[in-house]
Amino acid sequence: MAAASATAVAKGNGGGGGRAGDASGTRKKKGPGPLATAYLVIYNVVMTAGWLVIAVGLVRAYLAKGSYHSLYYSIEKPLKFFQTGALLEVLHCAIGIVPSSVVLTSFQVMSRVFLIWAVTHSVKEVQTEDSVLLFVIAWTITEIIRYSFYTFSLLNHLPYLIKWARYTLFIVLYPMGVSGELLTIYAALPFVRQAGLYSISLPNKYNFSFDYYAFLILIMISYIPIFPQLYFHMIHQRRKVLSHTEEHKKFE
Amino acid sequence: MRHHVEILDAKTREKLCFLDKVEPHATIAEIKNLFTKTQGKSLKDEDVLQKLPVGTTATLYFRDLGAQISWVTVFLTEYAGPLFIYLLFYFRVPFIYGHKYDFTSSRHTVVHLACICHSFHYVKRLLETLFVHRFSHGTMPLRNIFKNCTYYWGFAAWMAYYINHPLYTPPTYGAQQVKLALAIFVICQLGNFSIHMALRDLRPAGSKTRKIPYPTKNPFTWLFLLVSCPNYTYEVGSWIGFAIMTQCLPVALFSLVGFTQMTIWAKGKHRSYLKEFRDYPPLRMPIIPFLL
Repeated sequence: MAAASATAVAKGNGGGGGRAGDASGTRKKKGPGPLATAYLVIYNVVMTAGWLVIAVGLVRAYLAKGSYHSLYYSIEKPLKFFQTGALLEVLHCAIGIVPSSVVLTSFQVMSRVFLIWAVTHSVKEVQTEDSVLLFVIAWTITEIIRYSFYTFSLLNHLPYLIKWARYTLFIVLYPMGVSGELLTIYAALPFVRQAGLYSISLPNKYNFSFDYYAFLILIMISYIPIFPQLYFHMIHQRRKVLSHTEEHKKFE
Repeated sequence: MRHHVEILDAKTREKLCFLDKVEPHATIAEIKNLFTKTQGKSLKDEDVLQKLPVGTTATLYFRDLGAQISWVTVFLTEYAGPLFIYLLFYFRVPFIYGHKYDFTSSRHTVVHLACICHSFHYVKRLLETLFVHRFSHGTMPLRNIFKNCTYYWGFAAWMAYYINHPLYTPPTYGAQQVKLALAIFVICQLGNFSIHMALRDLRPAGSKTRKIPYPTKNPFTWLFLLVSCPNYTYEVGSWIGFAIMTQCLPVALFSLVGFTQMTIWAKGKHRSYLKEFRDYPPLRMPIIPFLL
């Protein structure tokens, strides 16, 4: 879910050309001011670079080790840094330099941050699981494309290849990422139960209880209604965006 | 010579607006203004056709609001739920706590007190809905009843579960804390009721007039000097009292969420008071004296 949920916000993080859902030419495209645009370009370039670092790190570690197991450790720090840094995108929406909904963006970024910190970081035993590699690869490819998409859109020069990649690769990357995430959460469950991680039980003086194990199961269940909605939204966006470009090409 | 201007949608060719009082020297900006003004807020049932800013031909736009439900129905449903649900937990009906606790009673006085307060609060709300409030609007969208009931019923169950739990821990400072909290709760309930009565008396039965509320002889209404919506102020106060009385974190969270929502409503109400009445008292804040 978090894998392609970042791309589900088709109208996110970009200026004029990035508004994929905006097929009508009559709508006025009021992008961010010049200072905000400069900042956003820098932000998106840095993020693209960051995820490229993670990609390169994965490849190098794989070549050095000769296997694809436990590659998490080789990219743990940049993964945490750049994924957590995406919280800035919520701020961008809040101050209006990016035309996306604060709620939607928060939801997407928080679900990624949750997986990184509250599951993978917190439950050390899952860090060697192959499912972690599954979602890390999905996220890495998705984010490299997504941030370069925004960068080019802001500069009003979007290569069709990037647009195509953003609206096509999700078909595979999104289910891949979701699988990795669900398998990782599932792998964490017994360790959470055993350690009573992040849980508080009665009696206590604030008359409150929280069962993190049950909470994680609820999270997993929530993927069932949410994933299809986001996935089919992206499919719908894909038809709109890619066919619109086809039409324009015809009349050139 | 006045012009008639017809505005069509560029894509669908649908007629969007017909302006028939346009001066020949009007700029496009001015025409755009006229267009957005006619699309503006909904007309009211009481508006008179003659007094509307239209020409000899009036174009009225119909907007389907979707399925509606009456305010009274929504209020009664959303308040009856918590009343009933809390009691299920209070009486420890089977399948909530372990079987050995079925139909047992708490040994803590504060738990019985909390039940009385919570039940009183919702009975009061139900009676006010039936006999006190005078609603501006008849209906609201149907989906609101599902949203609102989930909120009220959900939180009621969550709070009631802990307060009536066999492992409930009474307040740290004992009877002192409970007495103070109870006093806050009672004062705020009386205050809230006083404000509801004062607001009702502002408006004659069956009418939808709006006037600036002012303090009356009832000291509880003197809060009108400092806030626009003292009913919300007192409501937040009641729940803070209840939270201190039960020393239960879910109650505190419920108070916080309620406070957030009521602040949004209070700010909106305050803004419409300011817009409607030139002579609105400047000292007043929306919900918290001097602060918010």
